[in-house]
Amino acid sequence: MTNSSNLRALIAEDEPILAAALQQALQRLWPELQIIASVDNGQAVVEQTLRQRPDILFLDIKMPGKTGLEAAQELAEEWPENEAFPLIVFVTAYDEYAVSAFEQAAADYVLKPISDARLGKTIARLQQRLQQNGDGNAALDNLIGQLRNMQPKASAEPLTMIRAAVGNQIRMIPIGEVIYFEATDKYINVVTAEHESLIRTSLKELLPQLDSRQFWQVHRGTIVNHQFIQLATRDESGKLSLKLRGRSESLAVSRVFAHLFRQM
Amino acid sequence: MKPTTSLPQNDQPLARRLLRSLLVNIGIDVICAVIVTYVMRINDLFWTNLVFSLCIGMLALLFIQTGRYLFQRKATLHKVHFLAFTMVASGLALFLGIQLASWMLGLAVDNFSMYMNLGGLGLVILTVSVCIGATLFFWNLSTLAELRNQAATEKARSVGIEKQALQAQLQMLQAQIEPHMLFNTLATLQSLIALDPPRAQQMLDQLIHFLRASLSSSRIEQTTLAQEFALMEAYLELMSLRMGNRLSFDLRLPAALRGTVIAPMLLQPLVENAIKHGLEPKIEGGRIEVVASRQGQLLLLDVSDTGLGLTAWSSLQQPPPASHASHIGLSNIHERLQALYGAQASLTLKPKLPHGVVAQLQLPIPP
Repeated sequence: MTNSSNLRALIAEDEPILAAALQQALQRLWPELQIIASVDNGQAVVEQTLRQRPDILFLDIKMPGKTGLEAAQELAEEWPENEAFPLIVFVTAYDEYAVSAFEQAAADYVLKPISDARLGKTIARLQQRLQQNGDGNAALDNLIGQLRNMQPKASAEPLTMIRAAVGNQIRMIPIGEVIYFEATDKYINVVTAEHESLIRTSLKELLPQLDSRQFWQVHRGTIVNHQFIQLATRDESGKLSLKLRGRSESLAVSRVFAHLFRQM
Repeated sequence: MKPTTSLPQNDQPLARRLLRSLLVNIGIDVICAVIVTYVMRINDLFWTNLVFSLCIGMLALLFIQTGRYLFQRKATLHKVHFLAFTMVASGLALFLGIQLASWMLGLAVDNFSMYMNLGGLGLVILTVSVCIGATLFFWNLSTLAELRNQAATEKARSVGIEKQALQAQLQMLQAQIEPHMLFNTLATLQSLIALDPPRAQQMLDQLIHFLRASLSSSRIEQTTLAQEFALMEAYLELMSLRMGNRLSFDLRLPAALRGTVIAPMLLQPLVENAIKHGLEPKIEGGRIEVVASRQGQLLLLDVSDTGLGLTAWSSLQQPPPASHASHIGLSNIHERLQALYGAQASLTLKPKLPHGVVAQLQLPIPP
């Protein structure tokens, strides 16, 4: 339990005026809270949070580099197992993710423009949660899972064929033969039983084009065709990994997606 | 009334046209046979006269139609020339038709001279005047059809442009005064009121300016470059207040081009795209430059940014997915350019080195 006299918060907001205003309002309404940094993009917030371990994170959803949701997900995957996860308050210009659905979740959300009255409620809620001294991590994973389902989905028809450039040829890969997709730096590795091919896109762009009943995201960088999953095993430290048909390697499941493999 | 007209082009199928002229021709031939038999009393056998009349009529039709097809290769044809041709053709048809009918009916072949003695000049005048009458009738009929076609095409085109303009208006209103833009701007404004009241006042002025400019430009069909640049400036001022030092911009409009007329919502969406897809998602932000220049009879409008580059724009080349329906796609700009200015206008996107995009509009300068 953190002593309330040295509570630390980090603000992630790409618009300087909004960041300054939020900081000022917090100082006015919650003088004990120490604002340790204010960052303006999704990459910096992940780095700073991992380094500085604040108790509270005010995360703007729409930011350059990474969205607030992506940053939260990455933090959840990278966070050391036995450390208390920061409480996250999502800040958004309007209710595009239907964030009101997370009233029950581990964190709060506030809509921009933030009024003092609304921020006061958020502060009260945060203080209450800090007192509860509970394990926020399970709640957070829960929240991330919910948020992920809330992301705006493309209405496009699911892909039936992946076209991958191999040398100067185009390899046609029926979607049913794909065992898993793995994100590398700028590419996605498309893995089947016979071969691996790179396509130039991101998981964020690919995900809405996949049939979610067939393809499950199991990690920030991995989407797996669940028909090829043979076993899910948990090692002594509690980490989940998947054994696949047709491939020798196994895939790690991050704890954000662990709920997919709870016993029915 | 124009002295020359291009030969009427009918878009009806050939078979139908031929059938129609054939039926009209038979009708005229029957009338001629009646006139020859009962009015001119050249020969009191109606059926014989009908055969003669049909032969002359069909040959006249054949000659005149063939002549028309041959003449049609020429772009324009004087009506009087064509009527002179019709007179010659009808005389020839009269002579040959009488020969043909005599042969068919097994009559003596010197029938022509006999006929000429009987009917003489009256017959020639009848044939020629009927042919000219019929020719004029068909000519006017197809001219009328052509005019109707032209009117229909014209109407379709203007309806198309209107529809596109309307669509652009709607999309513009959605895209520019979308909730995102307004909420974000208002959020910034509200924060500024507490932080820096004089600057908040300035921002409010900009917002009013922007709303007024975009509402009025969406309602008119043409605007001037000066107005369009003022609108972009208001938009970019608001955006740079929000983005802080992540956005810088420069607008360059030569004084000589300030009054140049331009359709609204061709330039502004390019600036919006540069921000949305080039600079906003880029961590360090960047710079936008909008430059107007003149090259002969062409107006060149360059919107360049130092953002993420063309890969970020590529999603705009396809129809946007439903979730992005609010932005004006490049395809819409392309369509409107074609509708408003035709082939002379173009929109090109090129990568800018070391990074970013240059979008260039080329428009013909109105005289």
